[in-house]
Amino acid sequence: MKKLTTFAAAAVMAITAGAASAEGLSTPNLSYRTGPFAATGIPLMNGQRDYMLMLNARDGGIGGVPIDFSECETGYSTEKGVECYEATKGEAIVTQPWSTGITLQVLPKTNVDQIPILAPGYGFSPMADGSVFNWAFNMPGSYWDAASMILNELGGNDLSTLAGKKIAFLHLDHPFGKEPLPFLEAMAEEHGFELLPIPVGLKEMQNQSAQWLQIRRERPDNVIMWGWGAMNAGALTEAVKTRYPMDQFVGVWWSGHDGDMEALGEAGKGYRSISYSAPQPDAAVMADIREYVFDKGDSLATESELDWVFYQRGLVISALLAEGIKTAQDNFGEGEISAAQLRWGLENLKLTDERLAEMGMTGMVAPFSTSCSNHTGHAGGWMLEWDGAKWVVGSDHLMADAETIRPLEVAAAAEYAEANAPWPIVDCE
Amino acid sequence: MEFLKSILITPFVDMATAPDFLLQVLWEGLVSGVLYALIALGFVLIFRSSRIFNFAQGIMVVFAALTLIGFHSLGIPAWISVIFTLGVMGLLAITIERVVLRPLVGQPDIILFMATIGVTLFLIGFGELIFGGESKRMITQELGMPTGSIDFEPFGGLLILQHIEIMSVTAAVILVASLLLFLNKTRMGRAVRALGDDPQAALSVGISLRTIWVLVWFLAGVIALVTGIFWGARAGGVDFALEIIAYKALPVLMLGGLESITGAIVGGIAIGLLENLFEIYWGQELLGGGTKTWFAYVLALFVLLFRPQGLFGEKIIERV
Repeated sequence: MKKLTTFAAAAVMAITAGAASAEGLSTPNLSYRTGPFAATGIPLMNGQRDYMLMLNARDGGIGGVPIDFSECETGYSTEKGVECYEATKGEAIVTQPWSTGITLQVLPKTNVDQIPILAPGYGFSPMADGSVFNWAFNMPGSYWDAASMILNELGGNDLSTLAGKKIAFLHLDHPFGKEPLPFLEAMAEEHGFELLPIPVGLKEMQNQSAQWLQIRRERPDNVIMWGWGAMNAGALTEAVKTRYPMDQFVGVWWSGHDGDMEALGEAGKGYRSISYSAPQPDAAVMADIREYVFDKGDSLATESELDWVFYQRGLVISALLAEGIKTAQDNFGEGEISAAQLRWGLENLKLTDERLAEMGMTGMVAPFSTSCSNHTGHAGGWMLEWDGAKWVVGSDHLMADAETIRPLEVAAAAEYAEANAPWPIVDCE
Repeated sequence: MEFLKSILITPFVDMATAPDFLLQVLWEGLVSGVLYALIALGFVLIFRSSRIFNFAQGIMVVFAALTLIGFHSLGIPAWISVIFTLGVMGLLAITIERVVLRPLVGQPDIILFMATIGVTLFLIGFGELIFGGESKRMITQELGMPTGSIDFEPFGGLLILQHIEIMSVTAAVILVASLLLFLNKTRMGRAVRALGDDPQAALSVGISLRTIWVLVWFLAGVIALVTGIFWGARAGGVDFALEIIAYKALPVLMLGGLESITGAIVGGIAIGLLENLFEIYWGQELLGGGTKTWFAYVLALFVLLFRPQGLFGEKIIERV
């Protein structure tokens, strides 16, 4: 019955999204609670939604202004995502596209419409270069950050040890899955390891026998997975079937879903997933979420979902947006901020340990700051490890190799600007 | 020269030097193929009896599997849940016949096809409302299905056969044999065939169109449930992404022919085997992999060039 009620609520929410906006700051989310990627999308969307509901219930919004958090259902379809962007941009002070494909499509539009894109941990990695991508933000980390941290972990913080090794890159054959390829190819060339890209088509997500036969034949030293939706469960099931050692199998932060791992149980022990967020069930913010949202029956999440990595990452994502809004309000001295003012706020975030403690989110994300030339924040992350029953933090705090990534980001951003000329460039100096 | 070698020589050398791996490739292809064939069988059964191309077969697989898991999650024993699920599929068949098909009797085929698209959209929305979008574990263990695998060491190598996969192939064989027996040896089965062969003649001898439609949609539901159980176990969970796999039935139908049960079986197994062989021995080396996304369609198109009715389809000659 709870399921029926929550989905009815979600359906109503999806229908009302795009309609005349309620009072407050409009922060639409281009969500996906339906379709092939819903299983992984739902806990994230629930976390995002609950955090905003909590702020509204506890504090009356941000700076006294309520948050109008609406959802527009995309089903993870790029076409529908663009439609949702167009439908919601009128009153919006931000757009949250929730897919690398949608992000790439709306990137040029946001320049014209002057609405910041917030794509935490996804989108186009060169968005880090704020001089080119003035309206786009992907803090606290990019896909290239994730790839760099994974390689560092595999190489024991010395990438020269990877020379002569073979690393398979199992990825969704989609803009999201291909995004880290330029970085990984550059690293393979520089450090002398063999990169073996293995694409998984959307229609093959749940039938990956051919991909895992290739892995069995090639015997790579490691498999890095860039999977999403049903692809993750399919890959993990095949890995167990093929008897690929789980401790040599690492996924990006979207390939570490509690739901997938619970189905696998003990068989998935040792599998790791890099993560820019760490679940903290005892964090102070969780008590507020329970008090102001969950216990009142306003959440769409289930009890067990509250401790999931994806749900808590959803909280972090909304917290980043809320912090951007607060930064802008404090700077401009007004509650009803504009999209341009939020852009400034997102570009001047200072998320320190002290501030995280005030927010009740200590340990849920690492401290970081943004600037005009750094829209990613490069907060680093942790390697989460499945212990057979739950995710545990399996590493110290890790950082991406900024010295290597930065020139690649700048070069790729410049290339994008040239290919899309005339493209506005901002001087960050 | 090197290119020709990689097409004409290297793959066969690879097959010969690692025959255990070749056997594994063939086994995996066979299992996929059998499961494709099961989905295609649902299409064929309905098309044979009513000339309706049932676009909803894919979502029926998801709906049946989620209904089974849903009943079990309420604390109902697994096999009782199977019976309840069959009841739901029966109810669905009656509803579709009464609400969707009966008012459209006599309408052009394309109208009926569009109606099945409507059924698909309804089942997606209704299913998501009832079951949610989260992935759910198939209750294979609760159904008493074996886990684990058997290892063989052919030619000094390794061949792994999962128990669940052996069971899925066995179940498919039993299901197909039962269907063939039903269609060829029972009065009702012959009525289904008669309706497909000549609806006017069948109606004139008292065969009930409504009863047969309910029956074939129910049988398609039974096939959907069996397919959902085994695909769900293979895919690591059941969610609405499983519907995408149904698209693989389309090239199977193009290859095997829309009316033929034999065609669905042969087409499914052929596509399962060939797409796996092509991907492993040619696609990954020459095209960077990912060929399974399109290989089956290209193969089906190639067959259509020479046999537009598919390998086992009936050649239709219409005289004006």
